[in-house]
Amino acid sequence: MKILHHPAFHQWQSQFSSTLFWRKQLKQSLLTFSGLLVFVLCWQLASSQIQTSLGQFPGPTQAAAQWSQLVDEYQAEQQREDAFYQRQLERHAALLAADPQAELPNLPYRARPTFFSQILTSLQTVLTGFVLASLIAIPLGILIGLSSNLYQVFNPLIQLFKPISPLAWLPLVTLIVSSVDLSAAWGSRSFVVSVCTVMLCSLWPTLLNTAVGVSQVPQDLLNVSKVLRLSWWRHLRIIVLPSAVPMIFTGLRLSLGIAWMVLIAAEMLAQNPGLGKFVWDEFQNGSSNSLSRICVAVLVIGLLGFALDRLMLTLQRKVNWDKSAVSR
Amino acid sequence: MQKTHLELTQVGISFPTEKGPFVALQNVNLHIKKGEFVSLIGHSGCGKSTVLNIVAGLHQATAGGVILNHKEVTEPGPERAVVFQNHSLLPWLTVYQNVELAVKQQSKGKKTKAEIRDWVEHNLALVHMSHALDKRPGEISGGMKQRVGIARALAMQPEVLLMDEPFGALDALTRAHLQDSLMEIQAQLNTTVMMITHDVDEAVLLSDRIVMMTNGPAATIGEILTVDLPRPRHRLQLADDPTYNHYRHQVLSFLYEKQRKVEDLGSKRAEKQQQKTQASA
Amino acid sequence: MRRIALTLLLGACCLSQAEAAVAEKTDLRLGFVKLTDMAPLAVALEQGFFEDEGLFVSVEAQANWKVLQDRVTDGQLDAAHMLAGQVVAASAGLGSQARLQTSLVLDLHGNACTVSKDIWQQVPAAQKSATGQAQSASVLQTTLNAYAEQGKTMQFGTVFPYSSHNYELRYWLAAGGIHPGFYAPEQGDNSGQLQAQLLISVTPPPQMPATMEAGTLQGFCVGEPWNQQAVQKGLGVVLVTNEQLHGAMAEKVLGVTADWAKANPITHIKLIKALLRAGYWLDQNNNANRAAAAKMIAQPHYVGADVGILSRSMTGTFEFEQGKTSQQQDFNVFFRYHATYPFYADAIWYLSQMRRWGQIAEVKDDSWYLQQAQQVFQPEPYQQAAAELITEGKFKATDFVDFKTASLTRPGKASSFIDDKTFDPAAPNAYLQQFAIGQQSAAQIAATAKN
Repeated sequence: MKILHHPAFHQWQSQFSSTLFWRKQLKQSLLTFSGLLVFVLCWQLASSQIQTSLGQFPGPTQAAAQWSQLVDEYQAEQQREDAFYQRQLERHAALLAADPQAELPNLPYRARPTFFSQILTSLQTVLTGFVLASLIAIPLGILIGLSSNLYQVFNPLIQLFKPISPLAWLPLVTLIVSSVDLSAAWGSRSFVVSVCTVMLCSLWPTLLNTAVGVSQVPQDLLNVSKVLRLSWWRHLRIIVLPSAVPMIFTGLRLSLGIAWMVLIAAEMLAQNPGLGKFVWDEFQNGSSNSLSRICVAVLVIGLLGFALDRLMLTLQRKVNWDKSAVSR
Repeated sequence: MQKTHLELTQVGISFPTEKGPFVALQNVNLHIKKGEFVSLIGHSGCGKSTVLNIVAGLHQATAGGVILNHKEVTEPGPERAVVFQNHSLLPWLTVYQNVELAVKQQSKGKKTKAEIRDWVEHNLALVHMSHALDKRPGEISGGMKQRVGIARALAMQPEVLLMDEPFGALDALTRAHLQDSLMEIQAQLNTTVMMITHDVDEAVLLSDRIVMMTNGPAATIGEILTVDLPRPRHRLQLADDPTYNHYRHQVLSFLYEKQRKVEDLGSKRAEKQQQKTQASA
Repeated sequence: MRRIALTLLLGACCLSQAEAAVAEKTDLRLGFVKLTDMAPLAVALEQGFFEDEGLFVSVEAQANWKVLQDRVTDGQLDAAHMLAGQVVAASAGLGSQARLQTSLVLDLHGNACTVSKDIWQQVPAAQKSATGQAQSASVLQTTLNAYAEQGKTMQFGTVFPYSSHNYELRYWLAAGGIHPGFYAPEQGDNSGQLQAQLLISVTPPPQMPATMEAGTLQGFCVGEPWNQQAVQKGLGVVLVTNEQLHGAMAEKVLGVTADWAKANPITHIKLIKALLRAGYWLDQNNNANRAAAAKMIAQPHYVGADVGILSRSMTGTFEFEQGKTSQQQDFNVFFRYHATYPFYADAIWYLSQMRRWGQIAEVKDDSWYLQQAQQVFQPEPYQQAAAELITEGKFKATDFVDFKTASLTRPGKASSFIDDKTFDPAAPNAYLQQFAIGQQSAAQIAATAKN
């Protein structure tokens, strides 16, 4: 009951009861909706004009049909899984009936990747790669930013590696990963290859932005630190890092966007069972449904990339003290 | 006689440039006693901030040295607290936290949590900022930020308070309030203050001595004026005081007659015209 | 209630018999490339043959033959649907350091050579065969010459340097008097295009129709459903199937590494048993189950192509040209004619073709061929699997070849070649001497190297 008296609640309540608020929301929704509608109409029109060797280019209706197909396949897979476990129970019963002391092998169901499990795999892979990249890029960026000598040393290397495409990294990464003896704990080889490729391609924006943010701490604040005689560690923690946070987050956001793009390409070649593999397999199948399914995947990839960016933005807004920094 | 608290001896600084060394300051000699309020005044670019930075330890003098309490000054430290021109508050900390940072850094385990809190609040009360403890610098005005800057410097209980045009960006009323507060604080704490200012009235009102600097390059101390006005000083009373005005006159004449820097545009144009006619003739 | 208990008890007895020897590894991953002849793997999974053996298998599509081979070699895949040629080549040390072997042939033939519609239209009507099938490559001569005059070269596609398709394409071209090119690996030239009249390059099977449509390839040799897809889209015309080219020949095999086979002998046998049952099911009752099989592999995680296209070759209605179908009952053979037994003759033939085109750089004596074949094709696990299946009553002894008297060559339907050359596996060098185009002697090899 206390919450009802809290000033923030009153503020929220008054916001909601104001017609101005609702009108603004309505306007925003209409604009967004009309934009999407125009896109869908253009898509429908364009698709009816394009003929490919796999048939007519799919329009929104075909894509929607394939979407429900994918959902059906997912449900069918769930049923297969249930049936498998049912059979396993029956097998166990039979074994027990024959020999009450028998050891019951409890085998897990080897699920076939469904579209939704592939989405999950992609997300897992991209987040792992991104987190690893950040763990490397941020400390290294801080070190480089603090020392202009280190910057001179590292900058040529960074500029050399930054433009390398993931497709060029892949064979090298694949060979290295193949030669290393991986225990099961690391995950499958294709997962490791994808993660490494994502990491190699996405760490550069964070690295550079962190270095720049750290090196651009205003001289006045550095003077304050000197007068206060802050230790190196406190100087870093209290002055440098908070000052650099907006730039770091800009870098992180860019890195995440790149990581997502690179992931799809890496998955196609490394055969990691994610969305990239889905698109590649559908292309290989060359069935009359393939294009529609690829369209569904393309839209989902876009939506997920958008969602990841929004996530990063929310995080940035929470941490960012600099209200003037661009946050859209 | 009070012993010399802060000594600047033959201080000079030159910066290496492509065209050869640029001597910014030369032969600056100054002895400041404990509790003295000294203003540095001069035209822009004459090196006043440089002198302050050298005393603060933010710049290293290339000639001569600075001694505080018989110890040489080589690096910055809280005993020579600085109030910067640009408040320099940490934008991600609140007003309270900004001052607390200085206190914590300086007291280093000598104070309990309660004592720290009290001390921070005391200093903020001194500058009349008690109502804005939890605000961030982005949410308060320039004058308020400067007050917090002063509170932070004071909270370090410095031997010397160094102020680099602290009231330059403020409006007249705020400035007046802060000047009064500063005089009050100084009377209370007997802090040695070195302040840079452009404002002649301010210099005469606040200082015990006014150091007038010559123009750069190779700027040095031109004249030192002792302001012998009794404390506490009240601006309204002093406005009609002849001694006060005399001091003002002396400072102004130094700045605008003996160290004329700003040439009037008209005379320069006339000079150029003359040269042209001479050449074509 | 009693009936259920009885069924369970009987089931338990059968199960316990089957699982009497415990498999070393029950959780398996098999790889395949999207071609119709991966059907035995799909069938074994869907019909529960793997589970009957106590194996829990997942079947995963691979991007191309190279990736598949790499993943088998480094252990990510336990076994795979592999090209007979690539297993033979790897074992002979060509293109890989892997030691691969096989004990089970998955199918016979099942490939075809297709040329683009444009090319076909340029062939003079007089040269086109009456049946529209089993065309000699000589029909391409006129077009080749036309291309040469314009300074262009024809490009043909194959799926892998060591695949049956590569050898079949080259055989067919050479039989028609066209030089397909030599390899010179000792000189570092692995393009296979030395002295070639047309250029052969590698493309993954699913991309063949698209590449033909783009005009990059004028022809290819590939497995199904890609030929039928090219025909159905009006992109190309099939000129010859490899059954017409060389008769019965092992096409795909169940490839494993030698180490894996050594470490998991019982698992290997169980795998073979399940796949034998699958092959049998596919050919049962005169291919009665083929339509169901086509539907099975039409699922996106298997081959994924349209059911209609898959059914064609699977059920034996093969379309050579758009609108012209013919019955090719034995286009794919999964069990009939002792298809599944690894006869050394097939391995020797592949080796001979590798020698013919220079992938094997030196002349080897006849005994070398047999030695290599014996290293790659290991019939023992097959024989044990067959024995177990017979004991379990799932098969009769007559379903299999007589192991004691099995010779090098497949009995019954022998290999018969489009150019009527005879192949004696015991004398591969003599065999190679018959060909006008091909590297026969040491002198010729040296001559190629100089060019």
